[in-house]
This record gives sequence, C-alpha cells and structure tokens, in this order.
Amino acid sequence: MATDASAVGAPICQGLSVVEIAEDPAGELTGKLLAQYGAVVTKVEPREGSPTRRVGPFADGVAGPDSSLAFWYYNTSKRSFTAELPGESEVLESLLEEADVLILSVSRARQDELGIDLASIAARHPSLVVCAITPFGQDGPWSRYATSDLVSLAAGGLLNSCGYDDHTIPPIRPAENQAYHVAASFAHISLFLALIERDQTGRGQVIDVSIHDCVAVSPELANPYWFYPKALVKRQTCRHAQPTPTQPALFSTGDGRYVYFALILSDPKPWQNLVEWMDTHGVAADLADPQYSQVAYRQANFPHIQQMIEAFFLIQDAQTIYHEGQARGLPIAVVNSPDDVLVDEHLVARGFFDEVELPSGKTAVFPGAPIRFSAYPVVPQASAPSLSSPAARSESL
Amino acid sequence: MTATRGEPGSFPFYGTGERAPRQRRGPLAGLRVADFCWMGVGSVATRLLADFGAEVIKIEDRTRVDMPRRLPLYKGEVRNYGQQDANADPNRGGLFNNYSRNKLGVTINLRTERGRELAERLVAVSSVVTENFAPGVMEKWGFTYDRFRELVPDVIYARMSGYGHSGPHQHYRSYGPIVQAASGLSYVAGLPGREPSGWGLSYMDNMAAYYNSAALLMAIWNRRRTGAGTEIDVAAVEVGVTLLGPILLDVTVNSHTSQRPDYPTGNRLEHPHAAPHGVYRCAGEDRWVAVAVFDDAEWSRLVEAIGSPDWTGDERFATQESRFKHQDLLDAYLSGWTADQDPHTVMHLLQSHGIRAGAVQNPQDLNEFDPQLAWRGTFFEMDHPVIGPARFEGFPASMSGEGPDHWRSAPLVGEDNDYVFGELLGVDEAERVELAEQGVI
Repeated sequence: MATDASAVGAPICQGLSVVEIAEDPAGELTGKLLAQYGAVVTKVEPREGSPTRRVGPFADGVAGPDSSLAFWYYNTSKRSFTAELPGESEVLESLLEEADVLILSVSRARQDELGIDLASIAARHPSLVVCAITPFGQDGPWSRYATSDLVSLAAGGLLNSCGYDDHTIPPIRPAENQAYHVAASFAHISLFLALIERDQTGRGQVIDVSIHDCVAVSPELANPYWFYPKALVKRQTCRHAQPTPTQPALFSTGDGRYVYFALILSDPKPWQNLVEWMDTHGVAADLADPQYSQVAYRQANFPHIQQMIEAFFLIQDAQTIYHEGQARGLPIAVVNSPDDVLVDEHLVARGFFDEVELPSGKTAVFPGAPIRFSAYPVVPQASAPSLSSPAARSESL
Repeated sequence: MTATRGEPGSFPFYGTGERAPRQRRGPLAGLRVADFCWMGVGSVATRLLADFGAEVIKIEDRTRVDMPRRLPLYKGEVRNYGQQDANADPNRGGLFNNYSRNKLGVTINLRTERGRELAERLVAVSSVVTENFAPGVMEKWGFTYDRFRELVPDVIYARMSGYGHSGPHQHYRSYGPIVQAASGLSYVAGLPGREPSGWGLSYMDNMAAYYNSAALLMAIWNRRRTGAGTEIDVAAVEVGVTLLGPILLDVTVNSHTSQRPDYPTGNRLEHPHAAPHGVYRCAGEDRWVAVAVFDDAEWSRLVEAIGSPDWTGDERFATQESRFKHQDLLDAYLSGWTADQDPHTVMHLLQSHGIRAGAVQNPQDLNEFDPQLAWRGTFFEMDHPVIGPARFEGFPASMSGEGPDHWRSAPLVGEDNDYVFGELLGVDEAERVELAEQGVI
C-alpha cells in the first residue's frame, strides 16, 4: 500500500489522552493498541509497580520490575506514573481531568479494594470514556468469580474446540494470553464506538467489557453449529472441530517440521493442481488416473489419497512445500515457530518488525503495528516505562 | 448498563418482522458502507458496523453467492463444514445469517461493465468501502483507492487480507488455519514433544475481523476530526504475529529458542510458575474443568475447599515452587478428586473459595445453562423468512450509551435491490428490470 504524502502528518490517535490502570494483559494490550497509533497513554501503577511487572519471562532470566518481557511486550510507547490508589486520589483525578479514556482492567474485587467506583468516576468526568474490562462483567451471578487466561478460555467455550484427536488428552490451551487478547480487541472497538458517539453528544460513557462474553462469542463455527443443527463440535488435532471426524490436516515434512493442508475434495481445481505437482516429482502414481476426476471416486478413496499426500510431503522440506504449494494455488502453510516468524521473508520485506531501543541502550526486535493506514504515519515504538528511574518518568509527564 | 438479567434458556428477541430498510440508531447511524466483503473475516468486520447503526450494503454476485450461504449449517440437519449440498437454498445458510445480520443485500455481477458502473454509483453515495478479496481482484475491476477517491474524496477504503497488499507472499491463498500456521499461533499450542494441537477453529478469522473493525472505527473517528480519509491494509498474518505475545521477546531478547523439546507446555503455565494449572477430567463424556492456582494463599484455599485430603499435606506440595516442580504427581491427585464430579459443581465450589476455576463449557452449556451469559443477554434471537427464528452471538460489552441496533436478520439474495438501486441510486423500475434480465443485478 502506498503511503500518502499526508502521512508525514499526525498519527491517527494524535491528541487522544488515555489513562490506564491494568493488572492483566487485556487492559495493557488495549492501551498499547492506542499508544502505537499516537495516543498519550499514561499507566498508573502502585508504588511497587504493576503486578504485571512480576510476570516472566525476564530479560537474561533475572527477575525484577524492569526486566519482565511480558511487561515490555504489552507496554511499549506508554509513560507511567506511580500513585497510591484508591481511585479518588488527587493524582488520578487530575489525570482523569485531562483524559479522554480510562482503561481499567482489574477484577471486580480489585475495583473495590482500589476504591474505584465506575459510576462516581463517570459522574465526576461526564465526557470521559470509561472502559472497564473484568473477568465476567460488572454484575450478574458470576461477576465475582476469578479468572486466568486458561479459566477464561475454558468457561468461554473456546477451549472445548482445541486439543487432540485423542480425547483421553484434555482440551489444550492455545498459549500466550489469547483470552485476554480477545477481550482487548473488543475493548479497542468499544472505546472507539464511544468516542464517535461522544463527538455527537458531548458525553462519555461507561463500557463494561466481560472477558467471558468476549470469548463466548468467538469460537467461530462452534456456536452456529449449536444455533442451527444443534450439533456439538468435537476437537481434532490442529484443524476445525466438527460434528463428526475429518481427515488430518497436519503433515510431517522431510526436515522434521509440519505443514497444514486441508484438501477440499469437492473442489476440482486444487485436486488437479496437487496431482500435477506430485507428477513433477514422479509420485502421482494412480492419482493421475481418470477415475479420480470424479468427486465420488476421490471421496471413496480418501484414505489412499491421504497416504499418498503424507508420503509426498515426507520427501520435501517444509519451506519448499509452503512456497511451491502456494505458487500452485493451494492453500497450504508451514507451521512456523516464533523463531521462524522473525525471519519470514514476507514480514521482513513488509518492514513489519521494529527495532526498539531499550533503557539499557541495547535494542530488541518487537513486532510492529498490526494495522496500516496510508494517510497516517506509523509511530516508532518506544520501550515500556521503567519503574526504577522515576526522574525520567516524571520528566516525561 | 443494558444488562437484560435474563434466565438461562431465555433470549432477548429483536426485530419487528418488518424487513424494509429503516432509519438506524447508534453511533454509526448515517454512515453508508459499500461492502464488497465476503467469507468470514470481512463479513464479521462489517457486521460490527451494521450492529451499531451503519447502513452496510453487502454486494454479492447472484452467480457466485457468498460462501457462508453455501456452507451447510442448517437447522435440523447435521453436516460437516466440507459436506456441501450442491443444490442448497442460498437463503437457508445459518453461517451467512450469523455473519450478515443487520446488513442490506444487493446483487451485482461485477464481471459486467454495467455492473461495475452500478457499483461505482453505489460507492459514490457511500463514505466507506470494504473488501477482502484476494489481492488483485478489486484492481482487475478498476476499483482502486485512487478511483474511489475520485468518487468520494474523503473515502475510507479498508482492505482485509491474509498477507497484506505488498510483499512477496501477498498473493498466497489463506484462510484462518493458514494464517494461524504461518504466524506462529498453531506452533505455540500443544503438548511438549508432540505435533501441535493448534486451533480447532479459525481464530484468526475472528481476530483479524475484530482488528479490521477497530481499524475502521479509528479511521471513522479521525475523519470526523480532520476530514481526512485513508486506505487501510490489515494483513491477518501480521495481526497473528502480534498475538504471539511475550514468547517472541524470549526469542529476540534472550535468544531462548521456542524450538525446544519442552515447548509448548500444554496447559501448564511457566510464567508465572502456577500449579496446579491444568484441565482435569470430570464425570460424563469428555467433560473437564480448568483449575489455576498461582500462589500459596490460593493453594491453602484449594486445600480447604476440597476437604484437606491427606495428599495435600505431602511436603512436595508445601510451596508454590515445589508444587510446580511436582506437577505430574499433583495433577494425578487433583484428577482423582475431580474425576467423579460434575465440572460445574467443581467450578462453583472452587470459585466460592476464591480459586480460579472454570468448567470447559461447550456451546450447549454457553447457550442453555450459563447464567452469566443469560444475565447479560449475550446471545439473542431474530426471525428470518426462510430459516425462522435463529440465534446470534451478540456484542460482548455493555455500553451505557447506545448499544447495538439489531433490526433484521441477514438479507435474502438481492433482497434490497429495489431500495438500493431504486431509492438510493435513482435507477427506475424499467431499467432495474432490464438489468435483472441481462444478469447485471
């Protein structure tokens, strides 16, 4: 995408002032998604630092409030301010006076402990958008229940679709805080809806984001399968949970890796492309026979086809399969590890990764911004605010 | 708040049965979207706009209707995703209804010149254009950002794709599982020493959609302030990489490779050292409960909650670190305790002691029994002329301002042709008949 000449101007969230009190990745990621686009995001932490500073992994394996990589990840481009909460503190009040948005992601019990009352904040700051993210929502029979990423994925139903074909193995959690990430995306959406409404009415509002609800509306086909045929989908290894079992889609490759490939038998074009590809290696064998051009014949012989594909992928390496398969118009992908992603030629060519300067003077590679706007410049990411250099922090305030 | 305080098994019912387009309500009322999106990502992204009051006009081709119309999610008939009925009624598809509620629907054959002219007239009376075709398709029709800017100087043009609109892989074919594999998200899910378990859903269809909705709202909000439009390029693979989280920094900062035999860790949590932290078998077929204990205080409450059985006094379970180290043993004991219990009973008992626990809920649990979702009215129903009453996933946040405006289920094929081509674009009836006869609409 070409960038307009006007993109040298202000970033898209320039002028937006945000206060963040976040004790989980949901609120922190919401704040980061604003900071990355030019909003001024001020994180308010207790004197000892946000509890999220105590979550590893840590830089060089040394635990400390300024070495949490989880904290670094979710808090780029923010500034921070330490204050004694409860919420009626003068510091917080003065910050809210100037703010457009308050992101609050603490549990209901912690809201009480911190003395934060959403209604009274809204009453004192009528144009403020208050976005509160809680495990189950502000009220209701489960509103006081506690959560974690695993528990939210379980209760919200997403976990039920994930795991292995072997159901003696429990459902397996997709790692790295995904329940919190889903909630952050709805917080992001909600607060822009509220900002747009504020432009029309002059009034802010209180948004009540429930992590449980966010996960419960996001298991893709699982809910519609219940809404319509009243079927329960069953988990399968690395492919869609379905009402009844389907063929494996994960294949081992010659270099000990995996590729994902789900052949849709009813579609003639991918079938033809696959057989041509196998033929170039001289391994199409009977799959090139004319009877395979009939869908019914392919369906009747699917186990054989599947075995032939397994063997075909075992004689090649994963990257070759990925790129050649795609060049032949097949939806196929290598299962990249985080290490692989960092050197992916496509992402590198798009300039996706950022070099972020750390307080130590070193730099580290971070993923860049997930959304590109032609008319607005990208904001270079700055490292997460440090707790140990208050001078630098207050200066930035 | 707009909480409905409903009981399990009851659902808010929206819509009056009147299907003629009406004045919409909400923060996006008055905004018109020429929506070229199809499939999952685009449809879910623009559904959000339609929910909150935008007039989203979905453009379909009668000869190649949107795939979710053809995917076999039907009432009273169980078929897998891939088992399509070749002669299916395109108005019967449940997934399309789920994705395109609150939108208007028109048909235009964009492979005809008159069809493309009509589409441009529709763009000219809109202020947002959205698409998620393979890169190059819109260009083939002459639909570029520059062309749209000639029609609407401050247009917002959102392009949603797997790999983005630049770079060597931009033409790669993708759908959710491809994006998940390429972005690293499949790799990070699984037991150590095994193939990845990955995802049992197109997680990235939803997540890319949500990011596209947010991108559109950011652009709409900014245009109201500055008057400037923009093109938007969201590559699902890039969104996916940002969702990998801190594991990426463990690689880039610590040179700690993720390609190691003890990674990923299944349901166990390494940061922080939580234990027990897992999913435990319960009574019934494939029923499980998730339990997560992060510190000594939570452990003490767990011990009390389950009645202090002898094994909890084992010295190997005396500290969080020691429990973390002896998780195999700990999990075996805890599984023994959960094995003959109902997962919700375990959840409520542990939660009443302040312990993080959740039944692994399936869609039936979520829909019919979950009192929290019922209280909040998260799922709701609307009627549909072919399908009948059907349920939907609602917006997962309550707003003290304007909430969603659910007015109508998904459009039938070409349902709003007369309104859009006639009333909005001023194409008279004789010409509409002619366009229909020629297969343009």
